[in-house]
Amino acid sequence: MSVSRRDFFKLTASAVSGGLIAAKSLSAAEINQEKYADNYAMLNDCTKCIGCRGCQTACKKSHEGLSHTGNDSRYDMPLDINADNYTVIHLFKETDDKWSFVKKQCLHCNEPSCQSVCPVAAFHKRDDGIVSYDSGKCIGCRYCLVACPFNAPTFEYDSATPKVQKCDFCKDIRIAKGETPVCADVCPRGAIKFGKRGDLLKEAKRRIKNNPDKYNTHIYGEAEIGGTSVLYLAPKDISFADLGYKMYGETPPIELHESIQHGIFKYWIPPVALYGALGLLAYNNMKKHKSNPLSEETDNES
Amino acid sequence: MKVNAEPMKAKLWTKGFTIGVIIIAVGAIFTIVRMAAGIGAVTNLSDGVPWGLWITFDVVTGVALAAGGFTMAALVYIFNGGKYSPLLRPALVTALLGYGVAVIAIVLDVGRWWQIYNPILPSSWQGNSPLFEVSLCVMTYFTVLILEFVPIMAEKYQKKEEGFIAKIVKFLNPLVNKILLFLIILGVVLSTLHQSSLGAVMLIAVDRIHPLWHSPLLPAFFLISAIAIGYPMVVIESTLSARTFNRKPETDLLSKIVKITPYILGLYIALKLFDVVYYGELGLLFSWWGLLFIFENLMIAILPFFLLLKESVRKSQIMLFNISIMMVAGLILNRFNTYLITYSPRPGFDYFPSIGEFVITAMMISIIFVGYKLLANYFPVLPTEQHS
Ligand code: SF4
Ligand code: SF4
Ligand code: SF4
Repeated sequence: MSVSRRDFFKLTASAVSGGLIAAKSLSAAEINQEKYADNYAMLNDCTKCIGCRGCQTACKKSHEGLSHTGNDSRYDMPLDINADNYTVIHLFKETDDKWSFVKKQCLHCNEPSCQSVCPVAAFHKRDDGIVSYDSGKCIGCRYCLVACPFNAPTFEYDSATPKVQKCDFCKDIRIAKGETPVCADVCPRGAIKFGKRGDLLKEAKRRIKNNPDKYNTHIYGEAEIGGTSVLYLAPKDISFADLGYKMYGETPPIELHESIQHGIFKYWIPPVALYGALGLLAYNNMKKHKSNPLSEETDNES
Repeated sequence: MKVNAEPMKAKLWTKGFTIGVIIIAVGAIFTIVRMAAGIGAVTNLSDGVPWGLWITFDVVTGVALAAGGFTMAALVYIFNGGKYSPLLRPALVTALLGYGVAVIAIVLDVGRWWQIYNPILPSSWQGNSPLFEVSLCVMTYFTVLILEFVPIMAEKYQKKEEGFIAKIVKFLNPLVNKILLFLIILGVVLSTLHQSSLGAVMLIAVDRIHPLWHSPLLPAFFLISAIAIGYPMVVIESTLSARTFNRKPETDLLSKIVKITPYILGLYIALKLFDVVYYGELGLLFSWWGLLFIFENLMIAILPFFLLLKESVRKSQIMLFNISIMMVAGLILNRFNTYLITYSPRPGFDYFPSIGEFVITAMMISIIFVGYKLLANYFPVLPTEQHS
């Protein structure tokens, strides 16, 4: 896909609106799938999921610090992912024949919005593809919650020392030891397949090709907002919008503000130029009037 | 263009002042609860709506309304507006209080406030983030505003009074005076940067806020509307302080500075028109959201544009005040629409501010009024009245 004329003008306009021309080349929107082929990834196949929610509880159990019960010591199924539940299984059901389960979690985007907006670099897309969070840097501004296209990050509103919480791809408890993430491990139906992104994309295409009656032909996450590490397959008659995953274009939404920020901060030219111009005006102005309304010291003329 | 300013020395504990102090005291209680039990204990914020009244009003709107400071400084120091210097000090004090309140609000709103200094650590620098730019600029500009206030304090302490603060001020004053012009221009540049970046913050929310408010031009809209609100804010501040201290407002000067405002509003209206037409959003105007959009723009730009072109309107203190209030209302509506009202929450969530959020916002507003009275009472902020 190439950036449409309209997109191009939108981006140019935004760059100009920051008072500068974006230095970033915008023509190469074609996603370089090779670049991400070696990233850790996960293929969530909704057609295989039976909704047992084993992944949901196993994830919760294996991560320290996630509360298992409410204040009344009971456990109820959470309605959505939240600060104590990194992943949740949703059921979409329209009729007795048209239904599907779907796993919600952080998709570990190729070009993560959370990383791009965080003012203190608390989110980091690691070389292995995992998007990790560092509470030592986080100031708790919750910009990541606003920015994430998949509603993944959540916040501990009830704590005096809150953290952002989201699926960490089991980076410490499993990946660091060379093991498979907990959810993929416990799924009794193989609905969650862990692997390298390139391989899983091939696997997804193979499944679609071998079972054309079973699958929706779209692989969610292959291209959406530049691609994600967590990929989805859906049943044939069910759209991803039904499953709560919006259809996005291929351009990562971060390009709009990054084109502006790069222009301003790369070489500091626009602010420095503005400073110079204003300074010159002010200097001439002061020379003419020899006075300074804020302070009396230079005020020798009245 | 020598400025004669004097402390007002008015009676402090008037009814308004007392009410302000009481509100601050109640707000302080909620602040303690917030600090002890977390944000959820006093707010209705959620994963679905992570930014509410505090960010939208106390921070985003507040910073825009504090634009009187840098627009007056630019006029007086850069654009040869020496004759307006009597309006400069009050505008700076208002900005100082506005940013002070914004900083307090940020500390209350961010969850991990004890790490608030993180944006200045190079290991955390994140140049891609509009919020990184906002946080650096706001911190620096707030410091600049404090320094700009030093000469005003020095004028007071020069005569009498010893004490800790007086000593610091006397020590700082010669230094500040040497770099005052540098500081003033720095303040103007920083303001243009973060005022526009506050618009850039919402660029990422392209699928969350209504297309009439989302635009690649958001940074420009936020910057231009902040500049446009600068002088009307000076009008309001001057009118209110005249009432508080039983003085006459500087109508002569005010009617002259608002001559500039229609030019800025003209640019704003032209860009808004371009935005709506170019991105094919004309059809959206024929909906409830469209009505709200038109209403907002009538208040913030279109009506003031035509009204302020008329000399008779500009000469009337009461008209000036009313138009300024209308513009401020329009600007508040614009910031709320962009950050909150048209923001679509995550599925299953909803938001309306809690009592705690309202009380703390009321506390912020009270801090500005109480603070202004205190500062104008004890320091030479307001110009000495000319009796003719
Ligand atoms: S899904 Fe959201 S939180 Fe996860 S990497 Fe993408 S933007 Fe970040
Ligand atoms: S809440 Fe933390 S992780 Fe999220 S954007 Fe703010 S500082 Fe970054
Ligand atoms: S990868 Fe790990 S953290 Fe993420 S949902 Fe699965 S078990 Fe939970």
